[in-house]
Amino acid sequence: MAVQSVSGNTDQVLVEEHSCVRTIILNRPRQLNALSFQMVSQLLELFITYEEDSNVKLVILKGEGRAFCAGGDVAAVARDINEGNWKLGAKFFWNEFTLNYIMATYRKAQVSILNGIVFGGGAGASIHGRFRVATENSVFAMPETALGLFPDVGASYFLSRLPGFFGEYVGLTGARLDGVEMLACGLATHFVSAMRLPLLEEALFKVNTSDPAVVSAIISEFSEQSSLKATSSYHRQDIIERCFSRRTVEEILSALEEEAATGADKWLSETIQSLKKASPTSLKISLRSIREGRLQGVGQCLIREYRICCHVLRRDVSKDFFEGCRAILLDKDKNPKWEPSRLEFISDDMVNQYFSKVEDEEWEDLKLPARFNLPASAMAKL
Amino acid sequence: MASSSSSMDRVSWRAQVLTRHLQQPSSSHSSVAPVLESSVCLQYAPPELSEKFDFDVREMRQLMDGHNIEDRDWLFGLMIQSKLFCPRNSGGKVFVSPDYNQSMEQQREMTMKRIAYLLDRGVFEGWLTEKGAEAELRKFAFFEVIGIFDHSLAVKLGVHFFLWGGAIQFFGTKRHHDKWLKDTESYVIKGCFAMTELGHGSNVRGIETITTYDTSTGEFVINTPCESAQKYWIGGAANHATYTIVFSQLHINGKSEGVHAFITQIRDANGNICPNIRIADCGHKIGLNGVDNGRIWFDNVRIPRENLLNSVADVSQDGQYLSAIKDPDQRFAAFLSPLTSGRVTIALSSIYSTKISLAIAIRYSLTRRAFSVSPNGPEILLLDYPSHQRRLLPLLAKTYAMSFAANYLKAVYVKRTPAANKTIHILSSAYKATFTWHDMKTLQECREACGGQGLKTENRIGQLKSENDVKSTFEGDNNVLMQQVSKALLSEYIAAKKKKKPFKGLGLEHMNDSCPVIPAQLSSSVLRSSKFQVDIFCLRERDLLNRLASQVAERQAQGESREYAFLMSYQLAEDLARAFSERAILQNFLESEASLSVGSLKNVLGLLRSMYAMVSLEEDASFLRYGYMSTENDAAVRKEVMKLCSELRSHALSLVSSFGIPDAFLSPIAFNWIESNSWSSVHN
Repeated sequence: MAVQSVSGNTDQVLVEEHSCVRTIILNRPRQLNALSFQMVSQLLELFITYEEDSNVKLVILKGEGRAFCAGGDVAAVARDINEGNWKLGAKFFWNEFTLNYIMATYRKAQVSILNGIVFGGGAGASIHGRFRVATENSVFAMPETALGLFPDVGASYFLSRLPGFFGEYVGLTGARLDGVEMLACGLATHFVSAMRLPLLEEALFKVNTSDPAVVSAIISEFSEQSSLKATSSYHRQDIIERCFSRRTVEEILSALEEEAATGADKWLSETIQSLKKASPTSLKISLRSIREGRLQGVGQCLIREYRICCHVLRRDVSKDFFEGCRAILLDKDKNPKWEPSRLEFISDDMVNQYFSKVEDEEWEDLKLPARFNLPASAMAKL
Repeated sequence: MASSSSSMDRVSWRAQVLTRHLQQPSSSHSSVAPVLESSVCLQYAPPELSEKFDFDVREMRQLMDGHNIEDRDWLFGLMIQSKLFCPRNSGGKVFVSPDYNQSMEQQREMTMKRIAYLLDRGVFEGWLTEKGAEAELRKFAFFEVIGIFDHSLAVKLGVHFFLWGGAIQFFGTKRHHDKWLKDTESYVIKGCFAMTELGHGSNVRGIETITTYDTSTGEFVINTPCESAQKYWIGGAANHATYTIVFSQLHINGKSEGVHAFITQIRDANGNICPNIRIADCGHKIGLNGVDNGRIWFDNVRIPRENLLNSVADVSQDGQYLSAIKDPDQRFAAFLSPLTSGRVTIALSSIYSTKISLAIAIRYSLTRRAFSVSPNGPEILLLDYPSHQRRLLPLLAKTYAMSFAANYLKAVYVKRTPAANKTIHILSSAYKATFTWHDMKTLQECREACGGQGLKTENRIGQLKSENDVKSTFEGDNNVLMQQVSKALLSEYIAAKKKKKPFKGLGLEHMNDSCPVIPAQLSSSVLRSSKFQVDIFCLRERDLLNRLASQVAERQAQGESREYAFLMSYQLAEDLARAFSERAILQNFLESEASLSVGSLKNVLGLLRSMYAMVSLEEDASFLRYGYMSTENDAAVRKEVMKLCSELRSHALSLVSSFGIPDAFLSPIAFNWIESNSWSSVHN
């Protein structure tokens, strides 16, 4: 086993080599492996190199410590912008989304071992890949609406493809899912108990093909059936279908409240609460983004999300992202003052603006690398 | 701080280098790792990788769809997410489409299940109970989206909401509205619309069903007096409908008061057919088998007096006929107004059908190759053949033109006033016929352009032909509608001449100006100028209207009736109706173009408009027949069509991408058709 640190001055990303297999380790455990600008760039470089290196057949991605990855390092992005440079923030998203795209169209199998927190950007770095292994320690969430952001990193692609309207539920409420739920809804492809992970990795190290069927068979040997908790929101598919399929955020909320009026319970009140606590602007752009994403390819999704991100960073319509960072990450008072403060104060035109081109001469839409001659296995993993 | 920002720069520079490297086409790649397959096997390359996008597709879609974009996407998504819409995976993508391999009965049940699903999710909220242009436009948008999925689903809804519901709205009064509209919107009752009979279709005035009034009980008695009076093709009647609107002659005190509409129950809530009603199935059809068309006989069926839809005429308790409109012709015209909305929706949905087929055929033509120009040379993309461009691109331009015209028709319709009724009637007749004919022509061309692949049901185009064929017949036979257009134009002409008043309305104002002069030499820039295009279209319409009027007058002078004279002038009438439609479409196009600021979008629309004009000049023999153009001019036009084809070629992908039809509603050959046909996909 050879362990290398990729970057000269820090060890935020580590790599292990085992014949045809490369294991990439997110190594920033104190920050729950939150993706820094540097990490994103390193990952991009590694993934591109491995795709072209015919000696590499399989890439394993995992996190050091108790998290897989808690997301993009948003606090750093917000700090940059507060210092006056939104374009620096945009650069971060540009690279991160490019990485997401490379993973979504990767010619070789990527196995992500999700033995811990998988939030936001962490989901973007794993869900687009071919295999996602959940464990009893997995905690998945797209918590962006509580932060004044929206589910990005291609989430409008993968959330919108979950069964029924589960994606709207997960994306709008920021609900947390455990490993079994991830498997049930398709965010994970396998469930392996954490105890058996070392054995699984050992078995994967012997892989000398990029054939997804072979890799899948190996992981399946270690997989197990595990049943959903009685309280799992996955048992609530009926209500989710009835409410989260509605046309607008307002209608979703009132459908939930109607359900609560006839039979209140903890799940319903938590769901309603999380929607009420989230940024109203975020809810509206998130719903619209997921709905558009349902009809688009992953590339188009990322291009649209990049546009939205730039508008968020420029504070063109609302400053909620900065208020969210202040309240949740910096001051930690957990009491953001959203502006506009209510759903009804947000017009369609305001929402439209997030989806339009950015009025800045130097600005351009996200340009994704052209991916030629992709094998079938590199397409549509969800 | 300084060091961190410099390391940041370094990293971002590195990322840029990598991205640039990735964006390079594969030429350098293949030298590193030669891809063996490429030389022996065809590989699918998504057209997005090689085609350019000169304008913002999103903006173009906004212009084309015109309204309720987000609502449309919501509804597309609702369908994709439900198993009821038969999502199928092919070539790594999901497609939704009805299973046309199901039996007729199964398809009918699926249609009802889909309606129930959409109903539960609130799609039909306000369709009958909400008023105003905004609600109406949303309803149109949803109806268009539903039609993109399946014509049966749209027709089944159209009968229930627009025909049954529309009849209650337009012919009924408050008591009917209060009693029926809400229950219709929530499907407590299922309505149908019994107008057509075996013996009478487009000629509604000739129907033979008879209704009398029984003063002793205060009831109407509806009867089918003979076999030719059986109601025929009644959508919803064979299986599901519980109520119908019956169109019938009304006989009061032995006098016929003409056609009236009545509400009659035909099934109970459990689906049992009511007493004195007989229903039979129309059977399997060439398309639209998800709609249960049936036949109905009425055996002296008694209904309460209140069930007469009495906005135009009423019968008092003691059996007196009362009507504010004394002229039976006008009374009849008032009855036909709900059919206008039907014609509007048919016109709109035909354009979306052409968009589906063109998007599929053009995407396929950008990925499928055939024959080489030189021995052992690479095979040529279908759309790089000028002949293939000539087959598809003019149809694309027409679809754009008609799309703008459809938006105009919609706008006039939702803002309608009683004064606009005539315009709406004429315009909806002309556009319904023109668009549905264009649809059938486009479908056939696209089917052929896809070769054998066009024959597979999963590829949609072939199936759409049989699903949409009925559009040229229902809600008014196309030929009859076009005759009505020229008849109306003739009346306008006669009225204007008689009253010595200028023409006003229907876009005929150009008749008041002096006759346009067409330049003898038609250069490319003249041909592409909107002035020339409008002039020559107006010239044709003006001359044909003059000719028709004088021919009819001549025949009348020889002692023929005006009706007979018109009938015998059908050739000119046909040419005139076409001239009117094409001129109106061109003007609608120009108005939409004028609303845009200078830029790439406007430029490409200019090309499309010129293509529309040129191909219309090329295809209608009138221009040569009546000498509006010389044969030399005609040659110049043909040359211009070729030039425009090659100029539009590079925009083909972005133009069909602007249609706003999600990939899932296209078909496997529009995407990776090699993968979708691979051996590995056989067992999946």
